[in-house]
Amino acid sequence: MESTLTDEDWKTCFAQLGPALLLFARRWTNSRADAEDIVQDAFVRFWRRQHSIENRALLYATVRSTALDRLRSDQRRARREAAVALDGAKHWEPQFTTLDEGQQMLAAAVERLPDEQQEVVVLKIWNDLTFAEIAQILAISPNTAASRYRYALSALKKAMQPYE
Amino acid sequence: MNDFSELETELRELQPAPVSDELFARLECALAQSDPTPTAGFLPRTAQRRNIWWSLGLGLTAASALVFIGLTFFAEPPRTQPAVVQKTPAPFGPGTSGFLPSALTQVVYRQRDEGLVFSPNQSERLLRRVRYQTRETMQWRNPQTGASLRVSYPAEQVVLTPVSFQ
Repeated sequence: MESTLTDEDWKTCFAQLGPALLLFARRWTNSRADAEDIVQDAFVRFWRRQHSIENRALLYATVRSTALDRLRSDQRRARREAAVALDGAKHWEPQFTTLDEGQQMLAAAVERLPDEQQEVVVLKIWNDLTFAEIAQILAISPNTAASRYRYALSALKKAMQPYE
Repeated sequence: MNDFSELETELRELQPAPVSDELFARLECALAQSDPTPTAGFLPRTAQRRNIWWSLGLGLTAASALVFIGLTFFAEPPRTQPAVVQKTPAPFGPGTSGFLPSALTQVVYRQRDEGLVFSPNQSERLLRRVRYQTRETMQWRNPQTGASLRVSYPAEQVVLTPVSFQ
């Protein structure tokens, strides 16, 4: 537990972790604005409890818990978003700042991954968490986390082959 | 995993969309405010859980009442003296009613892992919250008359399991 965190500390931490937190929060919502709300709630709760920022697994668990609470508290909107997602309009707001065409293809391939694989990839690639930490956050075994990661990368590799 | 090293590098080169200045401003505002209810919306809602147990208790009480009424209804009717039942108290159960327990089932039709929460009592302690929705059915049967009595009711249980990060 760190108890002497200053105003500047959170800004530094959030500037570093914010984009990846937002990316993670997008697993539960199609809207960037909603994802920002989730991240805001989660980060405020995490920070006020003065948890060590090194404990990123706990931070991500807080984001996940907040997102699920929001879904439960707004079932109607969740159903509406689920219906929209089924219509194929998933993640209409860009999640990545892409540069060239290859990166755009890769970003699109990531967004087409099944949710359960996508969240493992997001936690592993853009948050540098270990499979043990990912397993804790998602309530799965480390082996399952590793399997989902491998399946995701296989799918991405396959998706990118025609463009290579 | 080596097969994917190139792909992993390419993925890491993808930059997640940056955080908006507006979110920074909102965070600054939220963190600057004092927090009257630091745990609202995040900790398990104890009042709600208490309601669940109340509901379960009421359900069981109602089920017991139904069973009692059923046993009374299916028991041999006192034909001559209404007070006979009171005068010949037999052990509650198959002795008087002829009903024997025949089935007891509990079907878990939904299990939802709600993730990690903080303990309501020890705020630093982490718990995993799992919600089970079940339907419990009890059945009695009178082998002599063939009559049966079944009570079924929905129930919800919340299980909190301590976890620790390594």
